[in-house]
Amino acid sequence: MKVKLDPRTKLYMILIVSALIMLSATTPFLWAIRIFITFIPIAFLIVEKRYTSAFVFTGAYTLALIMTFVLVTDESSGFLKSFLTGYSGIVVQFMPALIVAWYVVRTTKIDEFMSAMQKMHIPDGITISLAVVMRFFPTIKEEYGSICDAMKMRGLSLGGGNVAKMVEYRMIPLLFSCVNIGDELSAAAITRGLGGTVKRSSIEKLRLTVHDWMLIMMFSALTICFVYSKYFKA
Amino acid sequence: MEESIVKIEHVSFKYKGSNNLLLNNICLTINKGETVLLTGESGSGKTTVIRLINGLIPHYYQGDLSGDVTVSGYDIKNTQLYELAGTVGTVFQNPRSQFFSVDTDGEIVFGPENIGLDPDEILERKDMVVCDMHIEKLLGRSLFELSGGEKQAIACASVSALLPDVILLDEPSSNLDRVSIERLREEIEVWKSQGKTIIISEHRLWYLNGLLDRVIFMQDGKMANEWSGNEFFSKTVEEIRELKLRPLCVRNYFTDDCKRECDGKTGCKNIVSVPESKDGAVLRDFYFSYHRKPFLFFKRRFTENDEGLALNTKSLVLPKGAVIGVIGKNGTGKSTFLRCMCGLENDCKGIIESGGKSYKGRERLKLSYMVMQDVNHQLFTDSVKAEVLLSMEKEDEKHTDDILKSLGIYEYKDKHPMALSGGQKQRVAIASAIAANAKLMLFDEPTSELDYLHMEKVGELLKTLASSGKIVLVATHDPELIDMCCDYVLCIENGRLGYMKRVE
Repeated sequence: MKVKLDPRTKLYMILIVSALIMLSATTPFLWAIRIFITFIPIAFLIVEKRYTSAFVFTGAYTLALIMTFVLVTDESSGFLKSFLTGYSGIVVQFMPALIVAWYVVRTTKIDEFMSAMQKMHIPDGITISLAVVMRFFPTIKEEYGSICDAMKMRGLSLGGGNVAKMVEYRMIPLLFSCVNIGDELSAAAITRGLGGTVKRSSIEKLRLTVHDWMLIMMFSALTICFVYSKYFKA
Repeated sequence: MEESIVKIEHVSFKYKGSNNLLLNNICLTINKGETVLLTGESGSGKTTVIRLINGLIPHYYQGDLSGDVTVSGYDIKNTQLYELAGTVGTVFQNPRSQFFSVDTDGEIVFGPENIGLDPDEILERKDMVVCDMHIEKLLGRSLFELSGGEKQAIACASVSALLPDVILLDEPSSNLDRVSIERLREEIEVWKSQGKTIIISEHRLWYLNGLLDRVIFMQDGKMANEWSGNEFFSKTVEEIRELKLRPLCVRNYFTDDCKRECDGKTGCKNIVSVPESKDGAVLRDFYFSYHRKPFLFFKRRFTENDEGLALNTKSLVLPKGAVIGVIGKNGTGKSTFLRCMCGLENDCKGIIESGGKSYKGRERLKLSYMVMQDVNHQLFTDSVKAEVLLSMEKEDEKHTDDILKSLGIYEYKDKHPMALSGGQKQRVAIASAIAANAKLMLFDEPTSELDYLHMEKVGELLKTLASSGKIVLVATHDPELIDMCCDYVLCIENGRLGYMKRVE
């Protein structure tokens, strides 16, 4: 099975999920909605055959959920308990947004993303900067890997026990190489016509399909239920 | 009459904030359909000329520019860069930083999309370019998993897709191996047959034989000399050396792949038997794979008979005081070999025996030191001196000064390493390797971007290091460098040792 979502639907998913996790869930019904929306992106990860990340996310999220509900009660006290409360609270609260963002970044081509933004009439300046950010993640990861290797080779991984040095030794080479790469990257992009006044075209024919509409409607309905049940059904 | 397409008239240029005049009153006319090589030392202004023609000067890199540049009827000074996109295309030096997309298909269509072509036409162009460049196999892949050569092929294709009349190549072979360079040559041939005007700035010369109409030799921001392609390639070795250029033809270390010398399965018998002396180092049981079959609670060691190993070396004797060139195709295990040797891959459990001691695991990190291809990654402090001191077990200023003097970088000891030139940075990295008292010095492609003069310096330095008792291994694609300084060549294929031969 292959479901290809429109980037606009994906952005809508991010928006709704981030909004919902900012509203606290107080009743079992609200919790159910929240857990449900978390498992939608996980299901999509499975569809995209990204089993490892789906597995890791499910594991971490379920664990945090169980800890929140079972281990930590109102009477809990002591350092370990409070630490656990804090930890699982943060995971349960923010992980859904992380999962959606991960799913979107991993499955959206930059080209698709740019034409979706264009269709929504977002100014080019914003679109291009966001696209560059997306393009840059893997680069940063690669550069960071080489820098860590270099530090390991010189026995500096722990910065001689000095935390400030530890950060400094990583950040300085990383910043230098990112600035250089960014500079070369933009030079290469503008020689190929990026940033012109001509309206950019795209070979990605974006169309909202049945899947997209279903998802959009489902997310909207869930949001309405959530807000209604939380604020109006007293 | 021949029609001129690029015209540079009395151009002088210096970058903003710099006092050096990079170009000094240059005049150059290039006719339609010509293939022209710009060569000369680093800093002689080759790249600056390329940037003049594609408009990055003055629109992206600012500075003082006088004179006129006209390309295909456009006055560059008064033309926006995006208007030039369909006329001038540029292939840059570094494949990793010229991509905008993350997938190959997106990259090829990126240019045509920018200039707002109709989607159907874009797809037509894509198919045409893919067919011309024979890159069917590369479609639909992530750019981050391609090798350097494949990335460069995509870069060429994406430039081609804009159908420019003028194609510029700025040191395109820097990061490529022999096979990829030959592929690059084929791509240039395709363009030539399409009647494009091609301008190449390059240090490596051998692969361009027979392609060039004109060769322009640059020196100190001026065009010092000019020959026709045939004239240039009939020069003698001495004449070329006089010009401080890389040789025009090189010995074929790379055409025979390792296989021809030995049988892929049983390994090779061609390893010269270097006596196992106490002086050298012996590597034992270096096995490694990036795809480890996961065991639940413990890590299984790799063994000789595992399949799909990225490195499979039972034992290897490395002679002391010798420079050993490590050769092999891109992605065949050279870097893996170096990484495992200096202990960067924890899962490789190989043992290095040297001086009667054996080094395992993390101890290997102390025994060896690798100078990486991109030295920017391994300079951490704010002065050259601090960089060297950081590597010492006990800080010893006098010893530091000695090391810096011996490498000729003493005068920069208080400068920030990032403010130095590429070659100087490399020396700083070598200085800290010496300070760390490493016995095994590993170099990952130290000369890929250097001109002949700097390459010669690196070659001498490697020899000096070897004669001071270090074991020097250098992974390289430059046959010139091997001729210059290597005592042995070690060929690696698919993680196995091919052969180790003495260089005559």
